[in-house]
Amino acid sequence: MSAGGSDGTADRQADLAAEEEGPNQAGSSLPAGELPRKRKGDVEERSGPHVQHSVDLQLDDDFSGSDEDDQHVKIKCFREPHRHIEKRRRDKMNNLIDELAAMIPACLPMARKLDKLTVLRKAVQHLKAMRAGTSSAFTNAAHKPSFLHHDDLRHLLLRAASRAADGFLLIVSCDRAKVLFISESVSKILNFNRIELTGQSLFDFLHPKDISKVKEQLSSSESPRQRLIDAATGVQVQVEAPGRPPHLSTGARRSFFCRMKHSRLAGKQEDKHLLPCSLKKKDTYRYCTLHCTGYMRSWPSSQLDAEAEVDAEAEADAEKETSSLTCLVTMCRLLVHVPHLPSKDLNVKAPEFVTRFAIDGKFTFIEQQATAVIGYLPQEVLGTSCYEYFHQDDLRHLAEKHRLVLRSKEKIETQCYKFKTKHGSYVSLQSQWCSFTNPWTKEVEFIVSSNRVVSGPGHTKEEEADGSEALQEDTKQLPIIPGLSRGVGTMIYAGSIGTQIANELIDSYRMNSSSSSGASSPFGPTQEKCPQISPQTSNSVSSREEAAGSSSQSDSRRAAGAGSATSESSGKQTQLDLDSMVVPGLSSFSSDEAAMAVIMSLLETDVNMGQTGDFEGLHWPF
Amino acid sequence: MTADKEKRRAISREAARRRRRVESEVFEDLSRLLPLPPSVQAHLDKPSVIRLTLSYIRMHTLLKGEAWTKAQARHRVKCGRVMNGGEEPREHDGGREEEEEEEKETEEMEASEETNLYLRILEGFLIVLSTEGDMIYLSENVSKYMGLTQNELMGHNIFEFTHPCDHEEIRNSLLLTPEDVWYGAKRDLVLRIKSALTPRGRSTNLKSATWKVLHCQGRVKVCVAPSSVSCLLLTCQPLPLSHTLLSTHTFTSQHSMDMRFTYSDQRITLLLGFSTEELLGRSIYDLCHAMDINHLTKNHLNLCFKSQSVSGQYRMLVRSGGYVWVETHSAVIPGCRPSKSRPDANQPLCILCVTYVLSGVEEPSLQLSVDQIVHI
Repeated sequence: MSAGGSDGTADRQADLAAEEEGPNQAGSSLPAGELPRKRKGDVEERSGPHVQHSVDLQLDDDFSGSDEDDQHVKIKCFREPHRHIEKRRRDKMNNLIDELAAMIPACLPMARKLDKLTVLRKAVQHLKAMRAGTSSAFTNAAHKPSFLHHDDLRHLLLRAASRAADGFLLIVSCDRAKVLFISESVSKILNFNRIELTGQSLFDFLHPKDISKVKEQLSSSESPRQRLIDAATGVQVQVEAPGRPPHLSTGARRSFFCRMKHSRLAGKQEDKHLLPCSLKKKDTYRYCTLHCTGYMRSWPSSQLDAEAEVDAEAEADAEKETSSLTCLVTMCRLLVHVPHLPSKDLNVKAPEFVTRFAIDGKFTFIEQQATAVIGYLPQEVLGTSCYEYFHQDDLRHLAEKHRLVLRSKEKIETQCYKFKTKHGSYVSLQSQWCSFTNPWTKEVEFIVSSNRVVSGPGHTKEEEADGSEALQEDTKQLPIIPGLSRGVGTMIYAGSIGTQIANELIDSYRMNSSSSSGASSPFGPTQEKCPQISPQTSNSVSSREEAAGSSSQSDSRRAAGAGSATSESSGKQTQLDLDSMVVPGLSSFSSDEAAMAVIMSLLETDVNMGQTGDFEGLHWPF
Repeated sequence: MTADKEKRRAISREAARRRRRVESEVFEDLSRLLPLPPSVQAHLDKPSVIRLTLSYIRMHTLLKGEAWTKAQARHRVKCGRVMNGGEEPREHDGGREEEEEEEKETEEMEASEETNLYLRILEGFLIVLSTEGDMIYLSENVSKYMGLTQNELMGHNIFEFTHPCDHEEIRNSLLLTPEDVWYGAKRDLVLRIKSALTPRGRSTNLKSATWKVLHCQGRVKVCVAPSSVSCLLLTCQPLPLSHTLLSTHTFTSQHSMDMRFTYSDQRITLLLGFSTEELLGRSIYDLCHAMDINHLTKNHLNLCFKSQSVSGQYRMLVRSGGYVWVETHSAVIPGCRPSKSRPDANQPLCILCVTYVLSGVEEPSLQLSVDQIVHI
């Protein structure tokens, strides 16, 4: 619809109607919503002086009207939606006018609502005033008019893109890493003036250890393994035959971290707290870690000079035979990685170290800060059960928490407990445990623990006193932990507590996915029909099977994992699906071997592609 | 009586016509004040004129009083030059003015090119969103990604163009607490937006639009005067389905839907030290730093619901100790169907990942995980 268009049409229609009105005057005045009788003439008559607001477009009226009744029906069908369309249009326009009035300072103080025309006129005045205040960018014919000045756009872009509200643009030549262009914002980040840096070699202000890495990033086309991987089909497509520089129209993407020198002359500017500067005092320089993202571009070298009036459309010239320069165009932003938000509760002390356990309590991950607290090196702790370090007084409550965390989505706080250090003494810790559930399988895969040292008066003495006693007690008296079997003559080692709790969980998963609602015992006949799954690998294998199965199966699995009881039919379905999934002939293969077969065929094809370079005829049936 | 009525009717019709004409003229005046080429101005319909006027005013208000407006930036450049002793301070005399004008021109052009380069590096477009979801401003290159022009979109509401299942997430992102506003809180989300682009890159109409997955990142921005107005600045990047692999710094891997490795290319051995066989069946969650699990979980969820995702930067463990910072782009792809060469392959869906290694090995002698074998 053009600006004057629709109303123009309405005008015309109304006028037509008016002309016809004379001879065909209906006489009766019908309200706008009434069932129509024939004509547009009515509209004109009804609306009278308010025609501006209530012109009904009778565009679709059938003049030819062979049959009166037909015409009535037709008009009826058209006019109602039209009425609604018109109303919506009017409402929309009124809303827009209201919004506009709200934005114009001159309209705001008015007590009563202003009419449309006045608002529009004030808008015109306002825009004129706005434009008078801005620069000559609009009056200059050479510049394309735009809603935002490019400076503003750039600042918004940088603001959106980084926490520090600034990044700088860097263009370096690939052969010698000469800085061809660097934007002014570099002064805020590295505290160097852009003029000092332009024309220099980038390597001069990189951290020495990052030089080789950046060199690699700058190397453009030599590698024969440069390929495009099309995620939609998984096809690895070879871009170019090796030796010829790849066509850079899309621009090979680059993304890497590096450290750049920061001038230690904090003279004129106040020493801002630039967050990730590492405090390496090498050569009296500090370094800032930057994340550089960008792409490779080719420019004819004739177009470049030190100040780099960069023509972004020089791409077209790349086709010519002029000596072209390959450059890396990149934006460098200060890296701020905040792994987790600081706790809003100021009473909670920050965790001293984070650990990760498998569901049976064995340490699988430990931060280096732990060593300062517990004395053990990571190598000594990883793979061992956390229960081996808990004081026996705490075993009961920690086992309870362990059980709880495996079944809960919430974070579980332990009470203070004692953790045995390398030297035999105990340190008081308090931890927050949270289980990690795989978003797809909905099964718990491990537990993450945030641990902090709890200090208090008298603890050290107690620890020392307890130390030697505890060692003896461990072997003598075995604590009673509810739920764990304990037969006569059974030695419970601390580590087995964890294993048993874990097994409970695994069993409950198996139970949920294969039991029937009517079964009295979780280990009913349906369970036995399932293919044998060895307990150690049950977790991983079951997940893999699920992944390999049909989506409907995984749906039922997920539903099961969530705790809802599944019916007998789904139990059978699980069994059936597993059978149908494994193609006859391969059922003797274990899942591992089946997977290996897949990989082998992938690699096979990979090799073929590398040799012939011809992939046209290859069907990659992903 | 009839003649009288006729006359009155005629007068009112004339009046109506005049009003409409005046209104159209005012609309035309308004459209001419918009920063658009004349050809575009002439073809705007009335609601669009108002829509664009509103955006224009809102952006102006938002940027008013910013320390980095163009005029002040130029002033700073001048001062900078003087302070560096590069040039002598200029006096305003006639001859100089022309040169100054030319210099201004050059500066303008340079600065404008710089902005264009930023946009190209970004590989996306900028949106300024009001707290109600109105797209107050979109950068011009939006047409390249959505097939719809800046003029068609500005002033409309983002909910009209995004996937209904993502609306809740968008609404949550638009909820701003006072703290969010004060600290310029960050936002990071993946959403699906209508794209009127054909696979070949031509524009079609909205009726045949497809969903495009966008990664939107940004922060809250506030303008304090004259009235406090907050908005969200977002850079939106479509998640590409094609990646150029650099032999030294990227590797690909395939995973089942639970993120366990089903395949990885040999580069992973060079970069992380794990053999491809070792990794089969291992969950990516086991191989990342414990503090980055949330990142990966969010990534995984995006994948499940939106079929594409990009992780933030996270750490992957290196077999011989320490870790590297990486960034992974993933997509859910139709899985393998059984074929003669691969009769056992039967995954309807799997995840394909392209991982960029960003850093060198950090803390190479540190053992963090049970999967690492560190020789002291």
